[in-house]
Amino acid sequence: MMANARLVFIVDDDDSVRKSLSRVVTAAGYAVEVFASAHEFLARPPSTDPCCLVLDVRMPGVTGLDLQKTLAGALHHIPIVFVTGHGDISMSVTALKGGAVDFLTKPFDKKALLDAIARALAKDTRDRATEARIGDIKGRAKLLTPRERQVFALVVTGMINKQIAYELGVGEKTVKVHRARVMEKMRAGSVAELVRLADAT
Amino acid sequence: MGLTWYLGVDVIAIVLATGLGACWLLRHRAASARAQRLLEDRLRFETLLSDLFAQLVHVETSGLDAALEGALRQMVTFLGVDRGNLDEYVEGAPGIRISWAVPGIEKLPSVLAVSDFVWTADTLRRGGIVRFSRAVELSEEAALDRACYERLGTRSHLSIPLQAGGPMLGVLSFDSVISERAWPDDVIIRLRLMSEVFAAALERKRIELSLAERLRFRRLLSDLSARFSGVSILDFDAEVHGALRWIVDFLGVDRGLLIELPGHQAPGRSWTIGEAIDAGRVPWLMLRLREGDVIHVPRLAELPDEAATDHETCLMLGVMSLAAMPLRSGGAVIGGLVLATGAERGWPQELIEQLHLLGEVIANALAGANAEREARRLRQELTHIGRVSAMGELTASLAHELNQPLTAILNNAQVAQEYLESDPSNLGEVREILKDIVADDQRAADVIQRLRALLKKGALEYVPLDMNDVVDEVARLVRNDMVIRNVPMTLELTAGLPNVRGDRVQLQQVVLNMVLNGVEAMGEPNGRPHALVIRTARAGATAVDIAVEDSGSGIDMNDVDRLFEPLYTTKAEGLGMGLAIVRTIVDAHGGRLRASNNASGGATFKFTLPVDLERTR
Repeated sequence: MMANARLVFIVDDDDSVRKSLSRVVTAAGYAVEVFASAHEFLARPPSTDPCCLVLDVRMPGVTGLDLQKTLAGALHHIPIVFVTGHGDISMSVTALKGGAVDFLTKPFDKKALLDAIARALAKDTRDRATEARIGDIKGRAKLLTPRERQVFALVVTGMINKQIAYELGVGEKTVKVHRARVMEKMRAGSVAELVRLADAT
Repeated sequence: MGLTWYLGVDVIAIVLATGLGACWLLRHRAASARAQRLLEDRLRFETLLSDLFAQLVHVETSGLDAALEGALRQMVTFLGVDRGNLDEYVEGAPGIRISWAVPGIEKLPSVLAVSDFVWTADTLRRGGIVRFSRAVELSEEAALDRACYERLGTRSHLSIPLQAGGPMLGVLSFDSVISERAWPDDVIIRLRLMSEVFAAALERKRIELSLAERLRFRRLLSDLSARFSGVSILDFDAEVHGALRWIVDFLGVDRGLLIELPGHQAPGRSWTIGEAIDAGRVPWLMLRLREGDVIHVPRLAELPDEAATDHETCLMLGVMSLAAMPLRSGGAVIGGLVLATGAERGWPQELIEQLHLLGEVIANALAGANAEREARRLRQELTHIGRVSAMGELTASLAHELNQPLTAILNNAQVAQEYLESDPSNLGEVREILKDIVADDQRAADVIQRLRALLKKGALEYVPLDMNDVVDEVARLVRNDMVIRNVPMTLELTAGLPNVRGDRVQLQQVVLNMVLNGVEAMGEPNGRPHALVIRTARAGATAVDIAVEDSGSGIDMNDVDRLFEPLYTTKAEGLGMGLAIVRTIVDAHGGRLRASNNASGGATFKFTLPVDLERTR
């Protein structure tokens, strides 16, 4: 379990189920926020910390699956653990295709829920780290001049300076200068590292 | 008076004339006195005859027996005999006797034992008279009769058959007990004249009685028919018993047994009036009934040898005579009607015909009741099937409903366990949790309760019901389903509805099926927003309307007649039983069912139930 991943959102329209879920999750040491409907949840500003969502499928108005679709449009995809009173296969396929971490059928064991939550939180922590890294790389790439970007694109294809110079119709020396700038701005120690960064962007 | 006076007149006159050698004057006087006496005698006879005529012809039927007895007394006095008897023959039954005797002489018994006077009866039947001054005058072939006359103390006797153009109606007879006497022809001639008056009276009595009897019978028959038509199955037993009582009273018997004889099985239900006759102890009778035979046994002696058990049972029960009629429906024997008396009696053909008709009425009623019972059983079966199929449709929703509290309970219990293990001091929270567990348990129990009520296959219970409650209960049941199917459901209940009378579960079923039908009608998207409205309203002063309105695709009005037929469905997965069940139940509650399309699209199914007039609040 990641050290900071301790926030769990619970969305269920059934008061007593919501309350009991909240108890289980709280007792496991998580911070819990509960919502009686999808609308209530959407009204809350998105969390910047790792978190996950325990979501009831069947709810009046906006259902759990509807909420999943809505959330799919956001920048960050919060991991969802679905819980349902009576799940059918098509419903669970839809949910899992939409990226759900798990699909639990009520009544379920505490352990199954907590395991799913732990996995969801780990995933969110991982996702967030990746997202942060990619964001960082993208930020670095933004510093490149148009010419440097051209050189960057060609370097990662494995071309040597001479080939790049020929390709761009500039001198080999000039390419060398641009290349050094790219390596510096992208904070890459080697071409291999630069290639990895290029993949991430 | 010694010798009869009118015979004596001549004899005395002759003796006087010859013995005393009387003169012409004397003779003339004697002749004159004789003529005078003859005239007086004649007058007395004519007076008596017109008296009898007046008495017997103008009297009401009800007073006829008394008048006949009075006439008989006058005849006995007129004839100077000791006893006069009027035997009235009744077809197929022992006759009735009116007897009158001078003081000190015993009257004859009022029931005839015709068989003792075989020769006498035979003679009379042939239109002859029987007369003797002394019993010894009777021929050898009348030996049995002679012994009987002697036993009765009859010295001289005269019997005249009574006829009025038809079969013999009876016998007029006179006995001289104290002394012997002769029965000269002129007396016979006069008696024959007088007997005409008696015969006419008996004939009138017979016609009027049989007419009254027929009227009485016709009234019984129509009363019975009325009694059984429209009788509720619940009151049927009591009605059958009442009907049997009528029949027993009408026929003047003292026992009645009505028994169901289904197929080749053991006898079914039975009803009795008077002391019961155990069907098992009259095997011959039951066998004959099953074979469809009409049985009438005027006297036990007439039972055949193979009916030994029946004979024994009858003796033990004090039954002396019986008649039994098979009850048929559609050609098959379905039961029997047995009537019995503690006295021997005839079962004339006319009575048997009447029994046939009575049997028909009862057989119809029994068959009708059985059909009704069968229909009722099928209806319950159908309702149950409908309930179970409705259950299938509701399973998802109910499983969900049940899973909610179960999930909460499981979660709570596990947390409580954890608290107790890790932090036993945290009892406050544990107590909270237990409170929630109990509440959720109750909630689960409620769901199961509703499920059970829905599945219950019990007997119908007709009670006063507020249809608003019924609708409310169904709405609670389907609420979840509506949410899942994304159909907003609205209740528009009119407050203060009068009660209807019905079976709660069945009427819930009607509303449930109509709601499910409406929801399914909205299965296909049709561009209109889904909406289901359940409405209750008064329909005039004596009825209540319950309507379910949907916003589906509506009904094809060409098929509206078939809508409520079993197995008619427009849905790919439908069994087609939902609305058929609705109709069956609404019919059984005396209600009406209608379907129509809404102006704004969709359909409305409405049923109307009569208000419970007994207990309207």
